[in-house]
Parts: sequence; C-alpha cells; structure tokens
Amino acid sequence: MHRPIVIIRLDGNGRVYRPGEVLSGEFRLSALPERPPKALEVSVLWYTEGKGDPDMAVHEFWRYRFSDQLSVDLRRPQRFSTQLPNSPLSYEGQIVKLRWCVRVRVFLADGKEVVGQKVFRLGGIPPAKCIGNGFAASQRTALLGVVDP
Amino acid sequence: MARVIRLYEKKRGHRRTGSARVGRLGELLFFAVLSLLGVVGLAAMFFWLVVPQWQVSHRFVPHTCVVLDTRVRKHPTEDLFRPEVKIEYQVDGKTYVQWTYDIATVRDDPSSYLPDQKEQAEAAARFVVDPEKPREYPCWYDPADPHLVVVCRGSKWWTWLAFSVPLSVLLIGAVGLVYTWVSWDKSAERKAAISSRLAPKRVLRANGESRPQFPYVPDGKEITNSPGTKLRFRLPMAASPGWPLFGLFLAAVLWNGIVGAAAVYAFTLFSQGRPDWRLNIGLIPFVIIGLALLGYFIRRLVMTTGVGPTLVEISDHPLVPGGNYRLFVSQSGRLKVQRFSVALVCEEEAVYRQGTNARSETREVFRQQLLCHEGFEVGSGVPFEAECTMQVPGGAMHSFRAANNQVRWKVLVAAEADGWPPVVRGFPVVVYPPSEHNILAYQCTDRL
Amino acid sequence: MSDCWHLAAENPFSASRVRPGATPFIFDELPSLDRLLEQLRASKYWGQIVGPHGSGKSALLAALKAALESTGLEVLYIELRAGQHRLPINLRKLAGATKISVIIVDGYEQLGWLARMWLKRFCRRRKLGLLVSTHHPAGLSTLATLRPSLTLAQKIVAQLQQGYPELVLPADVAACFAATYGNLRETLFALYDIYEQRRSGLGKL
Repeated sequence: MHRPIVIIRLDGNGRVYRPGEVLSGEFRLSALPERPPKALEVSVLWYTEGKGDPDMAVHEFWRYRFSDQLSVDLRRPQRFSTQLPNSPLSYEGQIVKLRWCVRVRVFLADGKEVVGQKVFRLGGIPPAKCIGNGFAASQRTALLGVVDP
Repeated sequence: MARVIRLYEKKRGHRRTGSARVGRLGELLFFAVLSLLGVVGLAAMFFWLVVPQWQVSHRFVPHTCVVLDTRVRKHPTEDLFRPEVKIEYQVDGKTYVQWTYDIATVRDDPSSYLPDQKEQAEAAARFVVDPEKPREYPCWYDPADPHLVVVCRGSKWWTWLAFSVPLSVLLIGAVGLVYTWVSWDKSAERKAAISSRLAPKRVLRANGESRPQFPYVPDGKEITNSPGTKLRFRLPMAASPGWPLFGLFLAAVLWNGIVGAAAVYAFTLFSQGRPDWRLNIGLIPFVIIGLALLGYFIRRLVMTTGVGPTLVEISDHPLVPGGNYRLFVSQSGRLKVQRFSVALVCEEEAVYRQGTNARSETREVFRQQLLCHEGFEVGSGVPFEAECTMQVPGGAMHSFRAANNQVRWKVLVAAEADGWPPVVRGFPVVVYPPSEHNILAYQCTDRL
Repeated sequence: MSDCWHLAAENPFSASRVRPGATPFIFDELPSLDRLLEQLRASKYWGQIVGPHGSGKSALLAALKAALESTGLEVLYIELRAGQHRLPINLRKLAGATKISVIIVDGYEQLGWLARMWLKRFCRRRKLGLLVSTHHPAGLSTLATLRPSLTLAQKIVAQLQQGYPELVLPADVAACFAATYGNLRETLFALYDIYEQRRSGLGKL
C-alpha cells in the first residue's frame, strides 16, 4: 500500500517568526490512503537536541477525528494558525539546541501512523558562537580560575 | 471496526519500544487495584473508627453513674493495656452494673488496648473510687440497649493519623489511574499538550498587574527576594557553602563520636591490663578515616571563613539582552590577592540518562570579563569593593530550563590569593528573551 | 530555506540518534540476530548479555526485544538506573494482569542479591524468560559478550552519518575511541563535539 506523505507549508516562506506573532500555514497529504484515516493531529511544539535527553513541549494542539466517511479531502490544503509564545526561542547552542516545528501526525486505519514535520525559527537568536567578544572553547565549567580573554 | 489489543508490534526501520498498549493495560489494572484497596481501607477505617464515635456523640443518651471500681486490663496475648471502670446506673427503674470505658472497650475492639501501661493506669485513676461516698460521673448509654454505656467520649489521637495510610494508597492509585487513562493511546504531542494546559497561564506581579508569561524561563524569584545595600538586589550564591559544611561537620562528629567511644573502651581495657588487640588493630583504619574527615572539615572551614564571603549586587533584575546594568562586588577576608576578576558567563547543561549511566555535561558558550584587579590586599574588617557595568549582548539566548537541558547565566567571581587554592563563586542571574527591537538588529550569520 | 538551515544544523551524534534502538544494531563480530534468537529459544529465553560500560548492551537488548515481539512474544522491558536496587514495578500484579512471556532487565547488576534471587524464582515459577544485561557474568547463560572494537565504532559512525555531511573522519573515530578506552557511548559523545565544530562551517546556506 502506498503510504501518503504529509506536506506542510508555512506562510512567510521560511522567514524568522517573532514572539507573539501569528504562525500560519497549511498541510495536506500527497495522496489519500485506501481507507480513510481514523484521526489527525497537528501540533506546534518545540524540542531540544544535542547531548542531553530530548525535552519537548507542545504550544498548540489540534486533533481531528474522522468517521468512516471523510468529509474533507486531505489532499487539499488545510489551514492552521496560532499565536506564538514569548519563549523559548529557537537556539543553536553547542550541546543544547532548541527547535520549533509544526508536526502533523496521521493515524491510519491499519493502526500505523504517518508523521510530517516542518521546522521554523522563533526569534532571531544567533548560534552560540556568534555572541559577544570571544568564543569560549572550554569543554568543562571553568572552576580553576579565570580564562583570560 | 472494533480495535483489538495487539500483543506485539512489528518494527521496520526506525524502532520504538513495542507492546506499549499491553504495558499500559497492566499499569491501568495495577493502579485500579491500588485505588480499590485504598477505598476499601478508607471505608473499613471509617466504619471501624469513626462511626462508633459518631453514634456515641449523637445517639447515646447522657446520664449519670456511680463508680464502683477501676482496673487496668491486660490484653490476653499481647503486652497491651486498657483502663476499665465499673459503674452502676439506672435506666427506666432498672439498675445496670457494667465494666466500661469508651466505645472501643465496650465493643472489645483491639484498638482499645495501648502499649503504655502507665498512661492507661492514669486514665483509670481519673475515676475516684470511694466506697463511703460513691462519686457520680457522667455517662452515655445506648437507648436501644442500655447495657451499652461509656464514661469517655471522643476519638483517640491516632485515629485521624490512621486514615493517612489508606488515603495515601488511594491517592497513589487514583493519580496513577487518571494519568494512565489520560495518556492512554495518546501521541507524545497530545500528552505534552494536556500537561501544558494544566500549567498556569499568567503570572501576577506583587502590585496585581499581569505579566506575559515566559514559558521555560526561570522566574528568578529567589534572586530578587534579597535587597542590596548599594544596588537594588543582592545576588544569592549558586551553591552556598553553609549546608555542605554543616553536613561535613555532622559526618565528622558522628563518625569520630562512634570511633571515639570505641577507642575509649579499647583504652579502658588496655589500662586494666586486658587489651583486646583485635579491637585495637581493627580501630586503626576507622581512626585514620575519622582524623581525615576532621582534617578535611577544618580545611574547608578555614577556606570558607578565611577567604570570606563574596557579595554581588546588581542594579536590576531580570536581565534582558542589550540591557546595561551596574554591579557592585565586595570580597571580605584576610587575603593577599594576586588576581581578582568578575565575568558574565553563559553555559549550557545537558543531562543524558541511559541504563545505569547518568551523564551531565556543562559547556561554557559565552564569557565576558567585567572587572579584573591584580596585586592587592584585603584586610580583616575592610573588604575589597568595586563597581563595574555590564551589558548583556543583544543577541544573547535567554535563560532556559527544561527537565534535561538548560541555558544558564551567571556572574562569576574568581580570586587567586597567596596561600589559598583558587576560589570561584557563581551568582546566577536570569536573562529574559530580548525585546522586539533587539531581535532583528542582532541577527547574525556564520560568515564571520 | 528553513529546511536547508535545519539539515545543516543537525548533528547525527545527538543524544536522540545514538540512544539504543534509535538506529539498527550492527552485529559485527556477534552471531546474527536470528542465531541469537535461536540460542535464546534453546535456553527457554534465559540469558545474559555481558559487556563493559558503553559497549552496546542496551542497544542489543533493544534489538532483541523487537525481534522477540515480532515472533508474538509479550516482553516486559525494565531499565534500572544507578542506585536502583529493587525492581521499580510490582511484577506480581503486572504479570497477573498481562500475558508476559519474557522479562528483560537492563542493568541487572544494580539489583540487590535478594531482588535477583526473587526475580529468578519468580520467572522460573511462572515459566517466564529472563534476559539481562550486566557488566559482569551474573549466573545466567551468556548469550553474548560485547567487546567493542574500532571496526565496530567505524561502522556505527558510518551508519550515523548516512544522509549527513561526512564531517567525522575515520582518524577522528580512532582517536576518540582510544581516548575513551573503548567506550562506544563516550566515543560518540566526543564525536558530537567534533562534528559540531566542523559543521559550523556549513551553517545557514
């Protein structure tokens, strides 16, 4: 069986979003599965990556349940929008990275799931190395004295 | 189509732990049984302890009686006791003579027996037996059966405490049940969405106005609850040496106390001409450890008190990127300082847990020296003081705290002094997300 | 645009990717998964996986768990943390409520002597399988002894970097493997830093 792919597009075409701004976009399926999906969830969330166990929190969440007869054609773009929070902002650190994304999860009739995700940037925080006067390359917290700039 | 609980899940490619549903069913049943046990326990406690007391207080008829005798009765098999009072009273012209005390005694309940014999004797002695002039005391009898009579009302002190046991079991079961049910068959995003809805949405300031929420940014309340003497706030130190020092002191005292007692005993035997060489030899490593512990404590104490407290005050808090702040630093002690510096530092912390390993790594990603002095002395009673300004970089990442990952900012004070190991003390600060006009101005690419 | 930025910003050695079960287990010098399953079946699903820290015991357990479940067996997976000397769940209630066939304990040596005796007796009485990971032999029949090698480390790194810019070279793997005394987990974490430093040259395109 040919599995559908989730396609997500954000308004603004990949620009950086500001805290408090409205994030809007649309999602659709590349094809309809043989049997209509049971449910569909759309989440706007952030997650961490790096050297630590991942953390995740959902900012906005929608869930749609479908009966045997789908009343909406999921091949056509379905809109969503939400007001983004003040924090946390997207961040490219050294061992901690924070990413925002829109994630669409489709629950198929056979019990399997199809997931699509689109990452976006919230806030214009530059990567860690760009900040300030000098990049500290120490790997451990300096507890032995001052590191001369 | 009815959905069947599958006992296994096939895996292809990206693997996940399977059989989650069966596991959750087991969890659900476990918490359901726990909840049931809690309910049954509570009900049993209620009917056993509370209902009889209620009946005495609301159904029994107040009356008077005459005390003929008192005793302390021992439990037939255990070392437990209860007071008993022999009384005589009339109801509807009929005379009754009964041994009684409270409702538990009348029902011959095991809870009427208690371990403290003296306390039970005192309870019995409160009823004075005077054959010449028998005294009258109040009593309460059951109108349905006047043989049931008590001279003491009210529940024992431990009655309500006893409820804590089934209540705890019920709470654990109920919470687990709710959690398991709520997260049944839900995606990770849905579970996270449910838990985030339970979090408070807005924060009220002390003056009542509402502040927009900054999720996952520490609020820094513990930082602003201490006013400064020169600037607005005094920053608390990241790790105060007080409690670890106290812990070390306790450990040293306990260890050396026990070892010391054993050493005294060994010496006593020795002085009596009956040395126990096995004890003497066995004590040696313990004495060495005790002395090492004591020495380490004294060294830490001297270091802490000798170097003296470091005070850092700041003109405002929380901080924002692009903001300018004044800092006041004071260092006490008797020191010949080679180098004294203050820096603003940002570090990331990531915690990774796998099996028996828990690994935490910290990485400094930003450091800005604010102040540096070399070659001076700090005298006793005359602390070294300095002020400086600090600007948080415009594009700085705000403070962030989640379960496994953090971004932390702090003011780091480091001192190298003659005769002392280098001392570094951190004072956490909270940086909030940047204001809007700073965000775009400090967007930076990697093309340096 | 944001996708390019995102891909260039990903580190294939991040914790979520090196976690046991995140990528297929590489058997290298070990017997194949089918052979291991056969051995397990022959020993009535009792066995131990022995190896030092960071040798891939949890990853192998994750692969075996998936394989056991695909044969229709119900598996209970228990992961013990440092200092956990007792089982964190009520096995009796769970086993009574569900049809568990095999219990897997990751970190078996954390259990106290009494807890281990109880667990073995529990499994024997109920005819359950018991598969454990441990740093030292723990009295069960050894299913596999893991001795991480540089070859294995190179293969794992190659697998992780599939689809990513190959910024970590075999020489880097060799250096980190030697520096961490053959601890695969620490090797991968050290390679994270190397990859991170080098990928910053790709950045936002």
